[in-house]
Amino acid sequence: MPETTKTPARAMRLGVAGPVGTGKSSLIALLCRALSDRLRMAVITNDIYTDEDARFLKSAGVLDPERIRPVETGACPHTAIRDDVTANLLAVEDMEADFDPLDLVVIESGGDNLTATFSPALVDAQLFVLDVAGGGDVVRKGGPGIARADLLIVNKTDLGPYVSVDVERMVREGSAAREGRPVIGLSRTDAASIDELVAWVLGMLDTHRSGDHTPIDPGPMAPHTHADGTTHSHTPGRASAAAGPGA
Amino acid sequence: MSTSSLLLALLGDARLPSGGHTQSAGLEPALRAGTTPAEVPAYLRARLRTVTRVEAGTAVVARAVAAEGGDLDAVEAAWAARTPSPALRANGRRLGRGYLRVLQTLWPGPTDDRARHWARPVVLGLLAHRADLCPVDLARLVGYDDAQTVTAALLKLEPGDPLQATAWVRDLLPDIDRMARQLAPLRTPDEIPSGGAPLIERWAQTHDTTTERLFSA
Repeated sequence: MPETTKTPARAMRLGVAGPVGTGKSSLIALLCRALSDRLRMAVITNDIYTDEDARFLKSAGVLDPERIRPVETGACPHTAIRDDVTANLLAVEDMEADFDPLDLVVIESGGDNLTATFSPALVDAQLFVLDVAGGGDVVRKGGPGIARADLLIVNKTDLGPYVSVDVERMVREGSAAREGRPVIGLSRTDAASIDELVAWVLGMLDTHRSGDHTPIDPGPMAPHTHADGTTHSHTPGRASAAAGPGA
Repeated sequence: MSTSSLLLALLGDARLPSGGHTQSAGLEPALRAGTTPAEVPAYLRARLRTVTRVEAGTAVVARAVAAEGGDLDAVEAAWAARTPSPALRANGRRLGRGYLRVLQTLWPGPTDDRARHWARPVVLGLLAHRADLCPVDLARLVGYDDAQTVTAALLKLEPGDPLQATAWVRDLLPDIDRMARQLAPLRTPDEIPSGGAPLIERWAQTHDTTTERLFSA
């Protein structure tokens, strides 16, 4: 059994968000494979129409199938992680009760758009997943997940040459959009990148256990430009330019 | 001044974060079993006369029992006896936990440890007592929420004009109001209506083991 030096108040809840097909389930499988012998883990999935992700994770054989549960969202993946976290929160509470004690509960969002991020009422920390196959320009589109999730993943870096994406540049531009917040270029064929991800999760877990971590809300809206040329943000204190009409 | 009608609006709003967006009020399995979108108005009326009446009656009685400091477990048992499908009972209790979060955050107070296992109408009754939502508005809330749950789910499941779906709910408002006035005087668990809808119960059981679904129930 894993040893923990301090008993946490409850498991750390880690959200994994990002558009469809960027590799959220595969990333969670990587985490389970790397960490399930060290941490007591459980996974909640939020598929839009099927329990595909839960089945994928179960078939990957990386975690006891009992510890992977799907939550139906009524076709509203964004609502389920942000506006009304009830269904997910109840699922997390059930997991924590059924497998007490847990160290880490991972909640996988149903793939959604660039504005879908987790509410701090549901998760302690979150990572946002993009992939190089989606295009190198996606990091420049911005959005709360890209700009302010606790960690940005640029996934499938091994595919860069096949989709004409300059991976180093994509990671660099991601870092620039995030004002220094961490970015990891990840590939399941790149052991060093997996180590980097695992180290980040373990570091976040230490911070959570020490009670020093305060969940950060990436916010619903990125700074954006209006037709009249004014640019502004909906996050207090983040206004990037003088607010004009309609701000 | 009573704020009951505003409370009704607050609690009947789809934006209330109580987990309602995971629900289709049985519509998803009903469509899968062959119900057509054109039959949805009849489906709404069938629910209003059967399962929704049980839910609304349970909520009204739970409110009355809570007001007298009585045992809500007895109300829960009466509801369970009138809800034969284990899947619907499990779903109702999950929804109850969602409303319990609303209750404990918005109208905090001492709550029985057993409340975590109470079904939605029982928790709603307790909430109505604590928030001062009057019995007839409470029953209206249950009837209205059920109709909106069905029609909102229909828009996700089948093509259709959202205004048509809204018109169906509007057409049902007099029936919901009539039901609410009939149920508002109920006080004891044995008075809770016991009409059932065997097909709805059976479809709920089938849905419980279906993996390709948008809604929990």
